Formats: sequence, structure tokens, C-alpha cells
Amino acid sequence: MIDIVKQKRNFPIGKLLMWIMLIAVAVIQIFPLIWLLDFSVASSNEMFTNGLLIIPKIFHFDNYVKAFVDGNFLLYLKNSLLINILAVILVLIISIMMSFACTRMKWKLSSTVRNIILLGMMIPIHATLLPNYVIYDNLKLTDTIWALLIPYVAFSLPQGLFLISSFMQSIPREIEEAAIMDGCGIYRIIILIITPMLKTSLVTVSIMTFLNNWNEFMMASTYLNSDKWRTLPFAVLKFTGLYSSNYAVQFAVMALTAAPMVLIYIILSKHITKGVAMGAVKG
Amino acid sequence: MEKTYSNKAIILSLALPGIITFIFAILAPIFLSGYYSTTNFSGLGDFDFIGLKNFQELMGDKTFWIALRNSLLLAAGFIIIQHPLAIMMAALLDRLSGRAEGFFRSVYFLPNVISVVIIAYLWKFIYNPNFGLLNNIDKIFGGKGDTNWLGSGNAIWSVLIVLIWHGFGWGMLIYYTGIKNIDPVLYEAAAIDGASNRAAFLRITLPLMKPVIQVNVTLAIITALKQMETVYLLTNGGPGNETQFMANYLYKQAFSSFRYGYGNAISVVFIIICILATQVLSVIFRERKEGKV
Repeated sequence: MIDIVKQKRNFPIGKLLMWIMLIAVAVIQIFPLIWLLDFSVASSNEMFTNGLLIIPKIFHFDNYVKAFVDGNFLLYLKNSLLINILAVILVLIISIMMSFACTRMKWKLSSTVRNIILLGMMIPIHATLLPNYVIYDNLKLTDTIWALLIPYVAFSLPQGLFLISSFMQSIPREIEEAAIMDGCGIYRIIILIITPMLKTSLVTVSIMTFLNNWNEFMMASTYLNSDKWRTLPFAVLKFTGLYSSNYAVQFAVMALTAAPMVLIYIILSKHITKGVAMGAVKG
Repeated sequence: MEKTYSNKAIILSLALPGIITFIFAILAPIFLSGYYSTTNFSGLGDFDFIGLKNFQELMGDKTFWIALRNSLLLAAGFIIIQHPLAIMMAALLDRLSGRAEGFFRSVYFLPNVISVVIIAYLWKFIYNPNFGLLNNIDKIFGGKGDTNWLGSGNAIWSVLIVLIWHGFGWGMLIYYTGIKNIDPVLYEAAAIDGASNRAAFLRITLPLMKPVIQVNVTLAIITALKQMETVYLLTNGGPGNETQFMANYLYKQAFSSFRYGYGNAISVVFIIICILATQVLSVIFRERKEGKV
């Protein structure tokens, strides 16, 4: 249909320019990552070349072995997965409950409470680093999973509430009202009727929450002081200290740390880009 | 039915978890910040209340203004460089279909799924004066290849480049979604009337994208104000305080200079600036919308 738009007059040059632009931007976006992969299998001595990429004499996959073993990769991966999955689940549950309370239930403060929580979207997360540190320190929460879980959930909540409650408003009430007539309780309505209908918005919220918190680093480095709950981004930081002169291994640990999320992205690319677009336009 | 919907116990049980989380992790810390901002607490030991002295000092603090200027520079970089390019690329992507479209969209967004820590360290290596990618590219084009990209004078621009590069895919994706929502019939009509591609882009795409552009510009300014992690890892505000940003500065004051009270004063001003910026932008964009209708 849109083919008509393409005018025959400037067809070849226009099309060529378009492809040049598309490819040029793609190269700019992806070349640093290719460079990272390339250097991660080289040896440190080979790095001081004048070329852009190195063709290593031997592919040093042992860089990855070092990164995997000395970098405590599995521990960090387990922590990252556990904390982020828990955060997503909690954000979903709390957002659904709050959304129902604010859009369906009848109480005086419903819109006030919703608006105050939505205000949370404007609060810069890093402005709470200092006071939260003191709070967690006093409650002996530093170095526990809560020190990350609580702020991750709290700062994802406003967006979750916003997306889910706007979606909920568009769901007709007839079905649930019929259910109430039949004597069905509110909790059962939420679990059995409302939640399945929210599917699209739940996917969006999950993706946004996961993406935002997976790569979070400041809080993880401030509220934790042992390896017990440290997440993947920290692996890089720790490693650069350990192997400060062995650049190749540092490249390997960076590539390895990026891998899980890139893998998830490759598998779920369509859902992720769709989810982000939906979340950002509405948020 | 009315009764079921206004059952107080059920309402409380549904709303309380969210309210408690919000108060505990966001609201209470902000008030605590307000409290500490009036003290000279170092982070350890005793402290005195010193009223608004911290705020007075902040107004005369050169670094604070540098941080604010850097945020504005970054916002300008987003709006002048990143966004026009993002809209253009989104419009080009819109003309592709199938595999090619999916491929380019995925590639453009890819840097966004990689942790800021990796991005920051990767660019530190790219800027490395000895074996960095950028100096090697410079050599290929006949340059000397000995630029210190993170040195004085260059550092802020190098930081901006990383941030503009990293956020590009995110912005492009939002514009792309906006363009996809435009009715293709409009383009067909324009083509029948003999409009060129450029005219169609200027007369149809851009005007219809206005609401999306407004959302994106607001997001860009807020993101620029909130910037911390990349700067913290890339330069930590240095050399000197040339690349300082507000969030990084408050962190540095509290944990490196042991001026916890002063750091909290910066936090309070930081929050006020962010809320103010959002409000001002929404008012500006709302008025414009009404003015045009």
C-alpha cells in the first residue's frame, strides 16, 4: 500500500541513501559490542594494534573460563535472577491489588492515593540513596535481599499502577458484576476474572520492571557489602579490580555479564520492543 | 453490590501493601532527607542543626551549577542530536518490512538491554588513549591518535556521546510506535497529490507525531536530570568536577567527602527540580495543544 508513496523519479538514489543511513546507524550501535567480543578472545598483548579489530593468533576462550570461575558468575547470576523475578512478581501482585482498589472499589481517598503514588514516577531514584542507606542500616537490612527488593519494587510500582489501572478502566464491569450477583467474593473476582483479562498490560509491566532493575547498579553497590546478594552488574566492577592489568579477561567478563540479558532479548525481542514502546508512550 | 464495593476491610487489604511499600521506600526517605538536610551530620557521630545553611551554601556552590549545566547540555544533546536522528530512522524503518525491519529495530535497541556498568566500562576502553577504538579510528583517517578523550575539556563531550548513543534505541522505538499508528491512507492521498517523500514526512509525519515528540522530549529532560550511573562509572564527575551531575555530586558529598547533611540538602533540591521540570513541561505542552485547537 505504502509503495505508492515511493516516487519513481528519485527511486534509486533515495533507496540507496536510505540503506546507507540504516546500515550506518546499525554499525554505530553495534560495532562497540563486536569490538568487545573480539577483544574478549584475544590476549592482552595483542591489544596494542593500530587496526580496529584483532585477529587473534589463538582464540583465548580461557579468558571466559577465568571470568566464569574467578568472577563468581553463577552466584551473581542466581542473585540477579532471584531478585528480579521476585521483584516482578511483587510489582504485579501489588499493582493489580492497588489498581482494583483505586478503579473499582468505592472509597473517598481512592484517586488521591493513586495520584500520590503516581507522583513517585517523577522522584529521582538516586535522591533516596542517602536516606535509605541510613534506614536500612538502622533496621539491619543492609546486606540482605530486602535492601534491593524493597526499593526495586517501590520504584517500579508507580508505573505498574499507572499501566495496569488505565488498562483496567477499559475492562467492562458487567462480567464481574454478574459474578458478584452470584455471590463471588472480591478476591476471587480479581484472581479468576480480572487478572486473566489484564494479560497485555501485565506483560508490559513485567518487561519494564525487569529491564529497569536487571541492570540497576547504584543501590546494589550502596546497600550491600558482601557477595551474598550482589547482582550481575557487580561482577564487572569486582573483576576490573582483581584483573586490573589483564584487559582481555576484563573484556571477557563484560561479555559474559551482558550475555544472559542479550540472550533473553534475542528470544523475546518482539515482546520486549513492543512492551517498552507501550510502557514508555503511556508512562 | 454497593456494599461489596465499599467494604472497608477489603479496600484496606488491597491498598495497604502498595501504600506501605511506597511510604517505606519513597516517602519516608524523602522526609528523612529533609530532616538531615538541616544538619551538619558527617555520616558518623554527633551532629547539630544548622537550619538552612546547607541550602545557602548550595546556592553559592559552583559545582552544583556545573551539574545543572551538564544536565541541560545533556538534555540539549538528546533533543538536538538524538531525537531528530531517532525520528528519521523511525520513518525509514517504517518503509521496510519483514525481516529487515525486525533486524534493524533489534540492532538499534540492543545497547539498551546491556547493563550500564558494561556500557560505561566498554566506553572507557573505547576512549582509552593507548589501545582505544576511537584513537585507532583517528589513526586510520591520518590523525595522531593520541587524544585523551576523558581528559579536561574533552570529558563532558565524551560522556554526552556515550549517553546519546546508549539511549538512541529507546527513543527510536517510541517514535517508531508513533509512526506505526499513523493512518497509511494519509500517505497514499499525499502520493496521489504528487507530494515527495520529504514533503510527506514534513507535512504528515511530523505534525501527527507531535504528542509523541512531546512525551519523548519530557522524558529526555527528566532522564538528563536524573543521570548518574554512567557518569559515576566513567568519570565520577572528573576531571575536577567538569562532568559532575546532581545525583553523582550528592553521592560524592555524602560518601567521599563525609558531608552527609549537605548531600541530603542536594537530594532535596534535586527532587524539587525534577518535579518542577515535569510540571513546567506538562503546562507548556498543554497550553500549546489548546492554543492550536
